[in-house]
Amino acid sequence: MKSLRLAFVLMAAVVVPLVGQRPITVTGVQSLAFGTLLPGVPTIVVRTDAVKSGQFSINGPHDAQAQVTFTLPAVLTGPGGATLPLTFGGSDAGYSQSQNIGSQVGFDPKQSFVITFSQQGRGSVFLGGTARPAPTQRAGAYTAIITLNVATFP
Amino acid sequence: MKPTGLWVALLLCAGRLGAQGVVIAPHAVFIDARTRSGAVLLYNPNAEPAEVAISFFYGYPATDSAGRIVVRTVERPDSTSSSAAGWIQAFPRRLTVPPLERQTIRLLATPPAGLVDGEYWARLVISAKGGQLPVTGVADTAKVKVGLTLEVRTIIGVFYRKGAVHTGVTVSGLRTAVVGDSLAVWARLTQQGNAAYIGSVHAALVDSTGRTLGEMKAPIGVYYTMEPRYALSIGALAPGRYRLRFDLSTGREDLAPELVLPSPPVRDSVEVRVP
Repeated sequence: MKSLRLAFVLMAAVVVPLVGQRPITVTGVQSLAFGTLLPGVPTIVVRTDAVKSGQFSINGPHDAQAQVTFTLPAVLTGPGGATLPLTFGGSDAGYSQSQNIGSQVGFDPKQSFVITFSQQGRGSVFLGGTARPAPTQRAGAYTAIITLNVATFP
Repeated sequence: MKPTGLWVALLLCAGRLGAQGVVIAPHAVFIDARTRSGAVLLYNPNAEPAEVAISFFYGYPATDSAGRIVVRTVERPDSTSSSAAGWIQAFPRRLTVPPLERQTIRLLATPPAGLVDGEYWARLVISAKGGQLPVTGVADTAKVKVGLTLEVRTIIGVFYRKGAVHTGVTVSGLRTAVVGDSLAVWARLTQQGNAAYIGSVHAALVDSTGRTLGEMKAPIGVYYTMEPRYALSIGALAPGRYRLRFDLSTGREDLAPELVLPSPPVRDSVEVRVP
């Protein structure tokens, strides 16, 4: 009987009118791409690199604010558990209200950053970084996850 | 906005989307104690299925030592806090949203018996991960190749309102400083009543004739006490005396008027001297 009541309440929740509310969208558009690395040679991708930088698109209520934070990996994991260090500098992230990669405000991806959506309710976050393969880096494919957290401020 | 209008807005957003992520509506959920339920709509505009996970935590906007607004997370809220994170559940908590399809997350509140009238808060986390990005050239085992997967977490506010709820805000410690071509403004804001103050802040620098030389407007949510820092672009000011007007009101363009608790406007001002 209790579960029946729960099911009824949950069904009712679906038809509750959603009034006066705006959607928010956070989209991973393009991953940070280092391509093929040479052992012992650090590879830098700058946040203004249109092809290789990580790119996120954010849509929300116009002129509203949100807090952006990254969860960044310290290493990439490869064959047999081998790791490859990944580092991020103090200005490796950028925000563009106009979504123009050439017009960014830089920020530290290891710190939180408050963004303001444009009058059209848009914005883009860009990310660069440095991959540092060791001279003896084992060959193979290395992977990791980069997470962008966007918290709205109602 | 009616449900039809909401879906039009969702589709308009979707038309501009690229790779990984879902459209989420609304960006804040208000649950009434009479229904104890709410809903969040997800739409996947992409060609790949989106894996979605739902969770809650207790947190609220506050300010750091520099006056920046941050979400302060409280991992173990005590019984006197306004946390609803422990007694709101989401159904389902994990799901896969197929391409170009929508799903509904239902929220159900089961508050403790004897809950005092007021507003209780939680943060809803919607984690979305698209398909694994391919690491190209994997077949060439003589090379070091790197592939990074993107994940996005959208965190929205959930407000549970029981009984008579009322709000307000006080302003104190209003002060300014000219920093380059900007005017930095600080104020101490303290929430009143038993609900968060959700509104807008407006600051304007005026001269002796009342002419506005610079202004800003921003949404604000005061949950306890905060000391935000704002910056007004003012350019090069001639030496003299000016006045900064600082107003708070409960008008919000991104929320329906019926969701925003009304409260009388609050005003303060301070003299600004430019040597």
